[in-house]
Amino acid sequence: MATHAPAPAHASGGGHGDHEIHQDPRPVSYWWIRAAYGTVGAILFSFLLVFLLRVGFGFEPLWDGEVYATVAGLLGGIGFLWGIGCFDFWLGWAKGDDISQEDHSFHGVTNWKQYFRINTDHKVIGVQYLAMTFFFMLWGGLMALLIRTELAAPGQQIADGQTYNGFLSMHATLMIFVFAVPVFGGLANYVLPIMLGAKDMAFPRLNALSFWFLPVAGFMFLASMFTGMFASAWTAYPPLASQGTTGQTLFALGVQFAGASSIATAINFLATIITMRAPGMTIWRMPILAWATAVTSVLAVFATPFVAGSQFLTLFDRIMGTNFFVPDQGGDVIMYQHIFWFYSHPAVYIMLLPGLGIISEVIATFARKPLFGYRAMAFSLVAIAVLGFGVWAHHMFVSGMASWLRVPMMITTIIIAVPTGVKVWSWLATLWEGKIHMKTPMLWALGFLFTFVMGGLSGVFLGVVPADIQVSDTYFVTAHLHYVLYGGSVYTVFAAVYYWFPKMTGKMYSERLGQWHFWLTFAGTQLTFLPMHWQGLQGMPRRVADYDPRFATVNAIETVGSYMLGVATIIFFYNVIVSWKSGPKAPWNPWRGKTLEWMVSSPPPLFNFDVVPQVVGGPYQYGIPDARHAVVFAPEEFGGELKEDTRYPVLVVANQTLTSQALVDEIRSRDSEGLWSFELVLPLEGGDREVAERRLATALAVLAEYGVSATGRIADGDVVEVATQAAAASHPHELVMATLPLRDSVWMKSDSVDKVRKATGVAMSHVVVPANDARAIGAAGALPLVMVVATDAVGAEALATAVRTRADAEPARFAVISPLDLPEPRWGAEAGELRRQAGEAMTATVNALVNSGVAVEGQVMDDGPADALPLAIKAYGPSRIVIAGVNGEARGLAEAAQAAAGDVPVDTVNLGATAGA
Amino acid sequence: MATTAAPTPATTGHQPEPKKHMNAALISMLLFIGSELMLFASLFTAYFFIRYGVANETWPPLKENGEPFKLPVLLTGVNTLILVASSFTLWWGEKRLAAGDNKGLIRGLWVTILMGGVFLIIQLNEYAHLGFTPQDRAFSGAFYTLTGFHGAHVLVGLIVLSLCLRRAYRHDFSHSYNTPLTAASYYWHFVDIVWVLLFILVYVI
Repeated sequence: MATHAPAPAHASGGGHGDHEIHQDPRPVSYWWIRAAYGTVGAILFSFLLVFLLRVGFGFEPLWDGEVYATVAGLLGGIGFLWGIGCFDFWLGWAKGDDISQEDHSFHGVTNWKQYFRINTDHKVIGVQYLAMTFFFMLWGGLMALLIRTELAAPGQQIADGQTYNGFLSMHATLMIFVFAVPVFGGLANYVLPIMLGAKDMAFPRLNALSFWFLPVAGFMFLASMFTGMFASAWTAYPPLASQGTTGQTLFALGVQFAGASSIATAINFLATIITMRAPGMTIWRMPILAWATAVTSVLAVFATPFVAGSQFLTLFDRIMGTNFFVPDQGGDVIMYQHIFWFYSHPAVYIMLLPGLGIISEVIATFARKPLFGYRAMAFSLVAIAVLGFGVWAHHMFVSGMASWLRVPMMITTIIIAVPTGVKVWSWLATLWEGKIHMKTPMLWALGFLFTFVMGGLSGVFLGVVPADIQVSDTYFVTAHLHYVLYGGSVYTVFAAVYYWFPKMTGKMYSERLGQWHFWLTFAGTQLTFLPMHWQGLQGMPRRVADYDPRFATVNAIETVGSYMLGVATIIFFYNVIVSWKSGPKAPWNPWRGKTLEWMVSSPPPLFNFDVVPQVVGGPYQYGIPDARHAVVFAPEEFGGELKEDTRYPVLVVANQTLTSQALVDEIRSRDSEGLWSFELVLPLEGGDREVAERRLATALAVLAEYGVSATGRIADGDVVEVATQAAAASHPHELVMATLPLRDSVWMKSDSVDKVRKATGVAMSHVVVPANDARAIGAAGALPLVMVVATDAVGAEALATAVRTRADAEPARFAVISPLDLPEPRWGAEAGELRRQAGEAMTATVNALVNSGVAVEGQVMDDGPADALPLAIKAYGPSRIVIAGVNGEARGLAEAAQAAAGDVPVDTVNLGATAGA
Repeated sequence: MATTAAPTPATTGHQPEPKKHMNAALISMLLFIGSELMLFASLFTAYFFIRYGVANETWPPLKENGEPFKLPVLLTGVNTLILVASSFTLWWGEKRLAAGDNKGLIRGLWVTILMGGVFLIIQLNEYAHLGFTPQDRAFSGAFYTLTGFHGAHVLVGLIVLSLCLRRAYRHDFSHSYNTPLTAASYYWHFVDIVWVLLFILVYVI
């Protein structure tokens, strides 16, 4: 696999040794061997402990699998966490070891193997989170395919009822507790600190511990396959859950670990968002993803303890013989549902709100428009979260709970559609008249809008008590929850993975495979879940392994759809793995995003920013000239304040079209974003070097005139070679190539543009300039105008040479004026002949000059110098006047010009007698 | 980014005050306490469901053998006073530290830890003499779960305070740097407040 060492931002600059990485020398295997010892040792110890206690207290029987499994699971998990190194720092601190706050030996990675050991770098942890959660997603997906295979036809296919219940419980549990909830923790872990301008999370070591809780939870769920799979669904209602196999105990324990992970991460996010925002990053300048993460974290901190509580109670009923859920002992099973859903409904928003934030980022970036209703977006997130705490009992309309709760819960449930609607309309308004780029992340975002709105609508149906009573526990519910959780949250996860893939890996993914992934998934989603609405309304119950034969066709279709989803997922993994390994190098900012993570390299340097950035504006000001989100500084040795525009080279390759208005406009439109510097390269193969130099000088002068910072050079050689070398040398963010149309362009005829695109692997814009526009003064119109006044010298080579010399000395555009002192009558034949000759001479001069790369126009005037020059000066507004005279004639012209010029300086050039026409 | 800022020497009056940042560690402790409160809230929810789920029974409910559950309100009341008092001794210790008296802090911490220990011992003693076990109907399960969880939190609090005591002996804390101590005291006060709630809701009413 590729190396992705997050080198310091300016490693190539040399001498920048601020963040020397002193990696902990112990190899990855050390930690895993220790973890194995820790886990096995803790499990053996817990068996011994329980045995001795049972002997000591005289408990009968000595063997009670549930008790042993509980203690072994708990201590085994902690033993693993110790072995993998989560507690080393704290234990050392408690022992009084000399612990430095600046000890970064567990920060960052230097090779891919180090992703498999404990790390305190939020970027590494983010990748670890994503890899781990997607691993569990594969298992959960496998379970889903098994479910669909069993349901492909009526009767028993591959599993009996109990095994089927195990599949569906495992599917939901893995997907919810160790995929959908923590995957957003992983994404936010990676991008949130960078978005806020922070170097890391507030508590990097706690962050590492949060992550390592996850494999403990996930593998505990998976391990239950060997102890009898838990089979009471992810909701684990008692009394079913009180009775199940030992797998059910492992479920209850796994949820504790997953919940601890969730709470610790959430606290970490909140502390980071509250205390570690860069200067100028007011809460109203935070990206919406930061808002979403903050709101989600509040939900996680305050709701997750309820699921912990509910599982403790189940566990105590299972292992201690308490009677929480034994009605004839005064217990209450409805109580479990209240406590469980008081977490699990907010958990739905824990799985959704970060996705809503991601979609806001993606849509604004790919629609190239400011996010519509930024504050409404933020407030609606808060509103959803607040309301989310008051709707839990809508999961229990048919449970036999207190009936007076129904109507209030129905009302709050339906009200949630309002803030959600605010978000959906704001996204649509953002898309409205935007310049939409249909890249893969945007496809996912748009697909999300479609499926999420459908899921939201069926959600409103389900919130209504009578409708819910009708369709409770049918496939209508399954359809709804998969539309919002799969078509909703998981689509946003995919959008996010594609969106930040270049940032995380430094590589570009394959756009083609990404699009295949999306369209297959989208079709598969509709095929799998859309018919379920009908099925549910027809009364097919969910969570049952068999069904009435009249549902055979529709179930078969759904199974095909689910296989499509499986294939799409394989494409996704192939794309991610192969692109990471050998994809083209990603620029810093492939999407031209505005938020801070796009202002650091891909992948970002070890501590994200060399100097804390200064935030100066909102994060979504796309298309607003001169609007900036932040200024990123560099250290003193790199010249102090370094605006981000000097950090992002854009390579411009052009020859004949270099001074064209179209190309300069293209460059200026990018420059208005304030992020780029431009490197002009003029490949020269054969042609006239002087001409090329003149063109380059003109273009640079024009850009300087517009305040664009640009450098330029002429490079000898074939255009493909030159462009490839230049791209390799300066790692441009983007390539802009300008050519004449195919008919006139040598480059186009030899297919050079596509060759450059392929050879460099850099994103490219191709500007086509018509030949006449390329010859016109074009962009040079921005340069100061030098008015050349000549009469007899027009047409002479000496005049052209003089103008060239002047153009080389100082970039300018030129107007050659030839005042004709015509004999009376001016309509006479003699005057006409003179006029014709002067015109021809002027054309010759202008052509000679244009062909040598000088921006020039010429005019023959019908009056003597005394009358013509004031008019010409008024018309052209020259910054300088040059009198190009032949011998004695010059003096007369100069006097006339002097008189008319006013403040404009007048030079005189004597071209000598030989120049006379 | 050191989250627990190292002690900074007092600067001369001329320099502008550095921008006051909120202390990430204390914010996190407050959030954690919020989370813990919700855990107790879930257990109280269970308790009240069980309490009001037995509508046609008397309160406290009857055991298997027909006797009502009886809780030693007086002894536990005394125990409650001990725990509440320990919050004040901790507060006193912190005040002494603010006045620059490290010795006072150490005394305050010692008294607090001892009172917490006494509370735990009395509570364990109560368990031993209650006359019912967690298996004895749903009520006793809820009772033991609530008080047991609280006892575990007291134990964690004692460990945390002991670590603070150790650091106090090393003169780690001063009036300008006391984040771990403050966080520990937040936690201890939370443990007390939960107990007062628990005492009123479970023992008294």
